[in-house]
Amino acid sequence: MSRVGVGAALRWEVRKLRAQLRARAVLVAAVLAPIPVVFILHGQSRPPKDTLFGRFALENGFALALLVLGFASQWVLPLLTAIVAGDVFASEDQHGTWKTVLTRSTSRGQLFWAKTITACGFAAIVLLLLTASTIVSSLLVVGHQPLTGLSGQTIPAATALKLVTASWATMLPPMLGFTCLALLLSVWSRNPAIGIAAPVVIAMVMQLLGSLGGIDAVRPLLLSTPFEAWHGLLAAPHFTGPLTQGALVCAAWGAVSLLGAYLVLRRRDITGG
Amino acid sequence: MTEQLAVDAVGVTKSFGSLRAVDDITVQVAPGEVYGVLGPNGAGKTTFLRMLFGLIRPDAGTIRVFGRTWEKDGINVLDGVAGFIESPKFYPYLTGRQNLEGLALLDGGDRADRLAEVLEVVDLTDRAGDKVSGYSYGMRQRLGVAASLLRDPRLLVLDEPANGLDPAGIRDMRALVKRLAGSGLTVLLSSHHMDEVEEICDNVTIMRTGSVAFHGTIEKLRTMAPDPGYALSTGDDVRAREVAGRHPSVAVTTDPDAELVVTGPRDDVAAYVADLVRSGIRLDGFIATRTPLESLFFMLTDAESSVEGAA
Ligand SMILES: Nc1ncnc2c1ncn2[C@@H]1O[C@H](COP(=O)(O)OP(=O)(O)OP(=O)(O)O)[C@@H](O)[C@H]1O
Ligand SMILES: [Mg+2]
Repeated sequence: MSRVGVGAALRWEVRKLRAQLRARAVLVAAVLAPIPVVFILHGQSRPPKDTLFGRFALENGFALALLVLGFASQWVLPLLTAIVAGDVFASEDQHGTWKTVLTRSTSRGQLFWAKTITACGFAAIVLLLLTASTIVSSLLVVGHQPLTGLSGQTIPAATALKLVTASWATMLPPMLGFTCLALLLSVWSRNPAIGIAAPVVIAMVMQLLGSLGGIDAVRPLLLSTPFEAWHGLLAAPHFTGPLTQGALVCAAWGAVSLLGAYLVLRRRDITGG
Repeated sequence: MTEQLAVDAVGVTKSFGSLRAVDDITVQVAPGEVYGVLGPNGAGKTTFLRMLFGLIRPDAGTIRVFGRTWEKDGINVLDGVAGFIESPKFYPYLTGRQNLEGLALLDGGDRADRLAEVLEVVDLTDRAGDKVSGYSYGMRQRLGVAASLLRDPRLLVLDEPANGLDPAGIRDMRALVKRLAGSGLTVLLSSHHMDEVEEICDNVTIMRTGSVAFHGTIEKLRTMAPDPGYALSTGDDVRAREVAGRHPSVAVTTDPDAELVVTGPRDDVAAYVADLVRSGIRLDGFIATRTPLESLFFMLTDAESSVEGAA
């Protein structure tokens, strides 16, 4: 029975996820929630001037999509991914099912990778849906006028669409970083509530730290900083240094989190259930 | 080495903090055998079975299953092994059938035909489409058996399978285990009921606070068993005790509730009771209290007492 690989466990994880109301609700919310947000922002009489791209958000769809991006990256994205990643290991503790799945022909390592891949895949899909829904509804509701960039340059609509999409895409590395962090917390705490809530709290604390002065050495190492790396794409001339650095920081956070999670899961005694 | 043992656990030890849950126990189960691990609450039965399944790691000792070890063979140790620990657990938001389908995936295959079969064996076919959250305790227990049978095991490990079942459920579970054992399956069963083990098993290890208090066949256990005990109530307990003087092999004592307790070989006790009736003493009640093996079990697992020839 050693033929069983990660693939079978992965299929099982995906099946379970599809049966979970919570996971389905997140996907539906990723598609639907941006629509009222866009309408409400568009209906404001005064633009949110002190937010990035807020000044133009009422008359420019691209600016509005970037305004939503800035907001989503503060804690919404960590929350959306943690809803699955923070639960995926701890729910086995909650239901007492570790002993059920670990007495078949799938090893702890195989289950670990199946769950990790499931959570990362879910994060990517949520981001994709949220990106598509936000950009499409912003453009439909507000329009696709040329965008004024961060250096005051005018960006033609076709280029603006590419840059806005690319900006949303740069959310993927930090979102996966938070996914791995949530996986670690899920394994370690054995408690879905902690697995889901703690990454959100950590994200907010990091945001706060990042906004403080005098910690310039630490700021690039925070997992929340790469959420802002897209700013460089909208400057003239554009710069991608923060993106590269951010990707490395996310990879480091992800690798350390996964290694920790793997070791904890491999070594722990399954006494509950 | 003549025949490869199904389970060969030697010197297995596990502590939780300062508590030795399992202390240097050895359990060897030959193929085809029905083996009981018997012990009161907290004796270490579940801890031992968890180690067998690789759920927890022993501090010392080796466990071989069909010659394989966790260190060398990893999850392959469980090839041909199935069972459950304590009450079986499933995903409550999935149906019984979906749960089994998922476990079949983790076993390495979709086996729709076999799935229908095992549901039939445990009499859950009608309810297989219901969510497990709506299952009764007994239904979950039966789903646990179905999940185990799905693996077509050669070794079935069951941790107190009848625990929490009603009398009919207990009867059905025992009948099922006996039927499976009859088909050549090796069964390792834990229990805290002597009668269950006596009914089903060939060999038994009796555990007491982590260590082995007895190990051997049920036959050997029977020869060690004390005489059966009976509770006796009469119209005149003083005379009943006098009559006992004429029956040296029968002991009549008074228990803490001032009831008479009679112990002795079955035939001699019968003769004593007949004598009571002949002497005109009114007999109000005469009930067998503990079977001999039960008495022995309590003696073996009671921390203070010890039995000659045990272990
Ligand atoms: N995770 C744990 N942490 C601390 N102590 C534990 C743990 N698991 C078991 N123990 C202790 O180990 C001892 C043996 O427990 P175990 O569950 O193996 O007994 P058992 O024979 O299965 O009992 P029961 O008949 O009640 O099921 C008990 O004293 C128990 O309290
Ligand atoms: Mg137990």
